[in-house]
Amino acid sequence: MLWAVATVTFFAVRLIPGDPAEAILGGPGSQTSPEALAAVRAEYGLDQPLLVQYLQQLGRLATGDLGRSYALNMDVGPLVLSQIGGTLVLAVLSLAVAWLIALVLATWSTGRGRLAARIGTGLEIVAAALPHFWLATTLIVVFSVWWGVLPPISTADARGLVLPVVTLAIPLAGFLGQVMRESLNTALESPFVLSARARGESDRGVLWRHALRHAALPAISLSGWAFGSLISGAVVVETIFARPGLGRTLLNAVTVRDVPVVVGVVMVVALAYILMTIVTDLASGLADPRPTEIGNGGLS
Amino acid sequence: MPQQASPVFPLNRTAFVKRDRRMPRPGIVPSRSTTLAALAGAAALGLALTGCTSAASSGGSDEPTSGGTLTYASGDAEPTCLDPHVGGNYPQALVSSQFLESLVSLDADGAIIPWLADSWTVSPDGLSWEFTLKDGVTFTDGTPLDAAAVQANIAHLQDPETGSSTGYLALAKVTGTEAVSDSVVRLTLAQPDSALLESLAQPWLAIESPTALMRSQDENCAAPVGTGPFIVDSWVKQNAITLVRNEDYSSPPADAEHDGPAYLEEIVWRFIPDSASRYAALQAGEVDVIDNAQPDTISQAEASDTIVHLDAPRPGASNRIELNSGKAPFNDAAVREAFIRSANIDDAVASLFQGSAERSSSALSSVEPLGVSRPDLFDYDPDAAAKLLDGAGWAEKDSDGYRVKDGVRLTVVFPVSTNQSIPAEQSLFEQIQATAKETGFDVQLTKLDLSSWYTALGSNAYDAVSAPYTKIGPDVLRILFHSDGITPAPSGYFANHAQVNDPELDSLLTEANQVSTGSTNGGDADQRAALYEDAQDLILEGFYILPLYDQQNHFLLGTAVEGARALPTVSTPAFYDAWLNR
Repeated sequence: MLWAVATVTFFAVRLIPGDPAEAILGGPGSQTSPEALAAVRAEYGLDQPLLVQYLQQLGRLATGDLGRSYALNMDVGPLVLSQIGGTLVLAVLSLAVAWLIALVLATWSTGRGRLAARIGTGLEIVAAALPHFWLATTLIVVFSVWWGVLPPISTADARGLVLPVVTLAIPLAGFLGQVMRESLNTALESPFVLSARARGESDRGVLWRHALRHAALPAISLSGWAFGSLISGAVVVETIFARPGLGRTLLNAVTVRDVPVVVGVVMVVALAYILMTIVTDLASGLADPRPTEIGNGGLS
Repeated sequence: MPQQASPVFPLNRTAFVKRDRRMPRPGIVPSRSTTLAALAGAAALGLALTGCTSAASSGGSDEPTSGGTLTYASGDAEPTCLDPHVGGNYPQALVSSQFLESLVSLDADGAIIPWLADSWTVSPDGLSWEFTLKDGVTFTDGTPLDAAAVQANIAHLQDPETGSSTGYLALAKVTGTEAVSDSVVRLTLAQPDSALLESLAQPWLAIESPTALMRSQDENCAAPVGTGPFIVDSWVKQNAITLVRNEDYSSPPADAEHDGPAYLEEIVWRFIPDSASRYAALQAGEVDVIDNAQPDTISQAEASDTIVHLDAPRPGASNRIELNSGKAPFNDAAVREAFIRSANIDDAVASLFQGSAERSSSALSSVEPLGVSRPDLFDYDPDAAAKLLDGAGWAEKDSDGYRVKDGVRLTVVFPVSTNQSIPAEQSLFEQIQATAKETGFDVQLTKLDLSSWYTALGSNAYDAVSAPYTKIGPDVLRILFHSDGITPAPSGYFANHAQVNDPELDSLLTEANQVSTGSTNGGDADQRAALYEDAQDLILEGFYILPLYDQQNHFLLGTAVEGARALPTVSTPAFYDAWLNR
């Protein structure tokens, strides 16, 4: 899996027309000399055939060496380590906030009649369709420019985290909410809920102790995918809110064809995605009511 | 040229003040705006200054107070190395101007003034320059500034290991250095170079501590050591560079407002790539100064009474569309003129830039004293354009309304760099595409990122292109229009995008560059000015370029910032005289 990711990324970046050496030395207002270009090409092995460059890169990756950035004058390993924290905090908090919003919305609007359900569905559809850049800009205009309550850029304290987290959480909450509502409705109509009611369980008890556990399963599985999408959302959000992180690193690296950084970041993201999928599988196991209901059948 | 009383531009807090360093445009008469216009410009500047200084500022103190942290938000790319010797681009110049200094500087009229060098002399043959250094200056690591330090810097710039682009090219003619005494350094040149002082004034040739230069390149990139008013304290990538005050500072340029250490205790230099976020951060008071202000935010700022706009066009070339005269269809001067006459620039600039950019008709920036403006050559005149095309054999039109000749459509391939052209400029190109279509040009715009754009240029796959070029002085014309700049080096790099190949122009540019003394006044200076005037006439009358406006460089300053200015060298912001009135 990681090998496939590295290969696809390497060729995708290198096959876009563009010369990394020009990009390394170039940049606004610079005047590139041919001597400097030749030196840079030799230094990074860019004068070698593409296949040789690919094999060299792969060889380094196999030994756990992510290589050295063409553009940033530093090794990719330390670079990724220095930037990953910001993105992880953003992704984890956004996932948590998205779950919270989705749960509140789904439980509030389920079983309260048609109007509530329609409002809930409507909000979820709108939220899921909101593009990050639009949401980010709107939040900045409202909360930073008009009301002046939250900073539009990252700050040393946590205030700067609020707008980026909300930006990432709202569309995700829309997705999670839709999935959750659907399975909640299915669960509420299923026989085990009827039997729970027959045993005298209250509405709230049914919702929280039985139906919700069923309903949460697809949403938990979706969280693995969501984590990946949050990291891609981080590209936009980190740029707009001027936050340090992997998303911004990736964007800059693609612009200057900094192959080692692009491959390095994508590998780390792929690794995080794999880990997250394992975690969600485990979490599904824990949340899945079926084994426990068999075990504790007499008690419930 | 009259000397300006005060080259520093005090910025008024209460009212919006647009600092205008431009030359006045020639009126209806198509005149050559060289010396005369420069004089008029200086006079106008004097008036503007009087107006600025007499305006009272409200509240707080009028006396500079020491202390405080200024937060600067840059929209430019974060430099990969803070040492501008390495590579050498504008983002590096912006931040390194705060902690590195050059041998000489420029005043507001474009005259060379002392900085780290107190004085200089040149031999009659123009091949030997002696610079006497300012006394008692030390780098912030304690190393003294002496002749050997300057030698080490030139060696560093010329060392291929350094990977210098801009500084390396600027020193192309320097063949040797010598310490005449502790405080006098001599540069030996292969040929006279009338641009030497202008080159040395650029931040890419700043003087760094020789002790610090001996560290590894990684270490030096992270925290270069200079003589400047601030010191690099820390750099957290993708977040901020923290600069602290140099308490022992003793080397302000000759046009600074005060002596001794800077007023500001600290500068936090942040990178906020998104234009709207940058402006929102300024409005919210999270940052004090932003750069790369876009036309929409500038017009909002003009309406606000708390934000000050600093308009500091960059020197060197104007922003212009270069027409590739090396291949069809623009190898025909009539077709080039037809394209220029068919593009309605004035209306588009007025609507897209909302008054923040003024139309240029010069190959050079309006801050260049030797720039020649020829508004008569660049009028929008579709009828004349149609006649020119008819005469050049492009009389027929195809079913889509585009002109054809021998079955070939009149196509203009125009790669646009999204890194170098701001959104308003990209829109301007779209409007040019629309108006040129009416005359029958098929302008094919393609938006490319920087490295793809370089590749399009290197493979000669363009008919029109717009590339900024920042350099002090008219020698930029030699780089952009001398036929030496056409032959791509093995790397594919070249600067003469218009592919101008005119022996007469070549000899004018070479001669102007080799006028035996680089002094900016006296008989030689007049000879140099005359040569550059003739060269510009050839370039403009040959319709190789379509001038648009100066290279835009707008700063917005929050209400508390006083005393900030743009250095007249390459228009980077200078905070040595700045203080916070909070």
